[in-house]
Amino acid sequence: MPTLTINGKKVQAREGAYVLEAARQAGAEIPTLCHFEGLEPWGGCRLCQVQITKNGWDGWKKMVVGCMFPVEEGLIVLTDTDEVRETRRVVLDLLLARCPETPLIQAMAKKYGIERTSYVPNPEPTDCILCSLCTRVCDHIEVSAISTADRGAGKEIAPPFHEPPEACIGCLACAEICPTDFIPFKTSHVSRSIWGKEFEMLRCQDCGRAHITKAQAEHHAAHRAETTGVSEEWFRYCDSCKRKRQAARFPGVPQLA
Amino acid sequence: MMNETCKVGMEQADAILEGYPHAEASLIQVLQDVHRAYNYLPCDVVAKVAETLGVPLSKVFSVATFYKAFSLNPQGDTIIRVCLGTACHIRGGGALVDEVQRLLHVAPDETTPDMKFTLKTVNCVGACAMAPVMIVGEKYRGNARAARVGGYLEQGGEDDAN
Amino acid sequence: MRIDSREQFETLREEIRAAEAGNGNRILVCCGTGCLANGARKVAEAFAEQVGKRNLDAQVKLMVKNTGCHGFCERGPLVVLQPSGVLYTRVRVSNVAQILEKTVENGEIIPRLLYKNPADDIAIEQYSEIPFYKNQTRVAMRNIGRIDPTAVHDAIGAGCYTGMTRALFDMTPEQVLDEIETSGLRGRGGAGFGTARKWRSCRKAEGDRKFVLCNGDEGDPGAFKDRSIMEGDPHSILEGMVIGAHAVGAHEGFIYVRDEYPLAVVNLTLALTQARYLGLLGENILGSGFDFDIRISRGGGAFVCGESSALMLSLAGKVGEPRAKYVHSTEKGLFDLPTVLNNVETWADVGAIAANGGDWFAGMGTNKSKGTKAFSLVGKVKNTGLIELPMGTTLRHIIYDIGGGVLDDRPFKAVQTGGPSGGCIPEQLLDLPVDYEKLTEAGSMMGSGGMIVMDDRTCMVDVARYFLKFLTEESCGKCTPCREGLKQMLAIFDRMVEGKGVPGDLPLIERLAAGMQVGSLCELGKSAPNPVISTLRYFRDEYVAHIEDHVCTAGVCKELTAYRINPENCDGCAACAKACPVDAIAGERHSLHIIDHDTCISCGACMGVCPTDSVETFPKNELMKEVV
Repeated sequence: MPTLTINGKKVQAREGAYVLEAARQAGAEIPTLCHFEGLEPWGGCRLCQVQITKNGWDGWKKMVVGCMFPVEEGLIVLTDTDEVRETRRVVLDLLLARCPETPLIQAMAKKYGIERTSYVPNPEPTDCILCSLCTRVCDHIEVSAISTADRGAGKEIAPPFHEPPEACIGCLACAEICPTDFIPFKTSHVSRSIWGKEFEMLRCQDCGRAHITKAQAEHHAAHRAETTGVSEEWFRYCDSCKRKRQAARFPGVPQLA
Repeated sequence: MMNETCKVGMEQADAILEGYPHAEASLIQVLQDVHRAYNYLPCDVVAKVAETLGVPLSKVFSVATFYKAFSLNPQGDTIIRVCLGTACHIRGGGALVDEVQRLLHVAPDETTPDMKFTLKTVNCVGACAMAPVMIVGEKYRGNARAARVGGYLEQGGEDDAN
Repeated sequence: MRIDSREQFETLREEIRAAEAGNGNRILVCCGTGCLANGARKVAEAFAEQVGKRNLDAQVKLMVKNTGCHGFCERGPLVVLQPSGVLYTRVRVSNVAQILEKTVENGEIIPRLLYKNPADDIAIEQYSEIPFYKNQTRVAMRNIGRIDPTAVHDAIGAGCYTGMTRALFDMTPEQVLDEIETSGLRGRGGAGFGTARKWRSCRKAEGDRKFVLCNGDEGDPGAFKDRSIMEGDPHSILEGMVIGAHAVGAHEGFIYVRDEYPLAVVNLTLALTQARYLGLLGENILGSGFDFDIRISRGGGAFVCGESSALMLSLAGKVGEPRAKYVHSTEKGLFDLPTVLNNVETWADVGAIAANGGDWFAGMGTNKSKGTKAFSLVGKVKNTGLIELPMGTTLRHIIYDIGGGVLDDRPFKAVQTGGPSGGCIPEQLLDLPVDYEKLTEAGSMMGSGGMIVMDDRTCMVDVARYFLKFLTEESCGKCTPCREGLKQMLAIFDRMVEGKGVPGDLPLIERLAAGMQVGSLCELGKSAPNPVISTLRYFRDEYVAHIEDHVCTAGVCKELTAYRINPENCDGCAACAKACPVDAIAGERHSLHIIDHDTCISCGACMGVCPTDSVETFPKNELMKEVV
């Protein structure tokens, strides 16, 4: 296990971990927007910048993103220097110009002393910060219904041809992972709509709650049974009723109402 | 997007797909051939390419919109490419774009309603010694001048060089 | 006919050379993009036909000299006669018979077809005596213009594949690495990373499957040396790649070619077929036991794909969004396997180094930058085109002795190098010896070798804005500082060139630039502010004039510039009135012409055509003052 010095504190890091994980373990507060445990690091938002150096570098420091820089024996990490704060400030200032009305961005910017953006605020405010968490989680579950479209300043998240995506299973992973709640959806007792597509809901056979889309259950059974070890049967009951049923198998445990 | 421009014959697409290994690595090469054959990327063909190469449609869409070589809309019969490389820029390439816009009422990447011309700007065609350069169809116009743009368009894009 | 041994290869080469020596007349017709545009193919066909008809003992060869190779493309089609070495320019089909009759058969020169040196207007007979050409030292471009790139025998006769033979038969991979290290060769794509170091790292990387790649995605606007090599001498690239593959232990290669270079794709594809057919590529190359093959991949049109990680993703059929390079691509590159990626020019140098030795290459250049470097010298300079010179040549020598000085003898303002990642170097640094370090110190970089000369009629704010616009369109959009930073930076420049800049703009630009340099993901984003920073460093007064006085001193920014005709010089030729796209110029023939400022769109067309230099610019706000 490599030993690092993070803000002056010696820390043992997990082999194969990245600096961000080690630094957070050491109690350092590092902002991130595109990072999510369980997804491959991506390094796009550029907020988790930290400085690294080593004994023998003659005081030379290098700015890296914590989420992608692998831990190394003897690495010295500084997470809150003036340079680090200034770089994060530039990024947040830019994000605030892009998303002037987004509460999360406003709050993060405020922490770095930015009340108003230095630039011209986006005349068409958006909440999308292009962190790509939605497309990455969609790839991760092997659905890949949405992707980035275009490039540069015109880049956006979109389903193919901006049409309701055929591949979407209505699982809401994209909407739930979105740090700014940018992706709208609607769920009722019988149906759900997201990305302009309507889904039939499966209802729990015990409590009757609409808990999963039919497409999602089918997708799991058809494509993911090997990895998740579940069949379509699994989705007959909602998670909470499943837990109740499990609990009922233990004698003597008081039954939940 | 899902309109009549989607409905095209698949024969050319099938022939193109036959020539490449059915893997993601072939994607850009296949799309280039498709673009050359149809003069744009019809969405039905894009879907066919996705299915045949085993690449999610969203990824194909992402690639098709990321790279400048591809257009999802039908292009004009003649493509006008105005070079905006550095040498062309400082020698007046921008005035050529302005003049085409003024004459044809199309912005870059737009096509005239009669489908005759599509205006495109390119980041250096590597013919800097002839700057500013515009290419009408296949015809290179070196040392091009705004006042002559009308003439270039009238004379069309036959490449008399070859 | 497959060549199965080194001996067979060497015999073939000597046979080709002997045949060449015995062949008297050769007619080389330039078929580069520029000359083709001017009708070169028809001229070549006419030569072929008439040589046959006349039963002349001459051989017509298509010589691809890249566009503007010597800056003569606008004088194309170019024809060189050998062995006399006479160069004719602007050759038409109608001149063919005369050339054959007079010059080829009777040795008579046709003066009106000769090239005239723009510096002194003196006609020059010999191709080799043209100042632009004779001051060069060509290594990477050694064969361009001398061989027919579609004829592998020409390439072999010129020495191609000789270095490869030496590397495969006389040298172990380690010895090849040592030879490259001795040469001091550094990447010609711009960053200047040590080639031997890169190769060693890939050789050491674990894994049986490795790749050797050629970066032919020459995206810097104003640079076209890679195109000329791919079009004009494709075999030199293949040769270099085989040597590199042997050194690192790779058996698969790709050449990633820019989609805007169709002729390069055609010539490279042909070269691959020929090389495979002759056993110079593929299985058991020349009977050496070494296998290596190359495929061509056409880029999709994205500047960012010149960046190595983006290029590799693009080769894999994905969107070209760069990845953090905390793990080197020599360990984890294409398909996450060990990969060596070098620029076209670097590969072309490798064969020459293998043939002539590392010491020979290291004998040229400066302390840290060895060998020669290809540049495209373009913009407002008299002789435009491709040049190759030893590293350390001064900018002054390049621009004045080779380039012949600034177009129309106007004052020199700056030279832009390094493309969108580079900067503008001002007059006071003209004696700068050009190498990797010196260009970086001056706030620019080597880049892919574009050198764009700018005169006093070039606005440096406009130039910086041009690059910002370019980069805004080409940014992949993955990381925040590059995507949003460029957009905001461009917005600031947009208001400056419209005279709407505010006093806080310069500090804001500087702060944003610094943030982008540190914070961006890839080199494209990190270097994106360079054109801004370098113009601010050397031409700050122009920025101040735009912001505070609303004046574009160079008379370029349309919103700030008006045009007028100087009555003292105007001879009433009406050229301006004809050129004006909006009919804003009135005047009787042979009398003074006048520009109507209300109609004028400040396009500058009149200025470009005026034979007496009577059209002037002046700050638009003076018009307002006149009204008041």
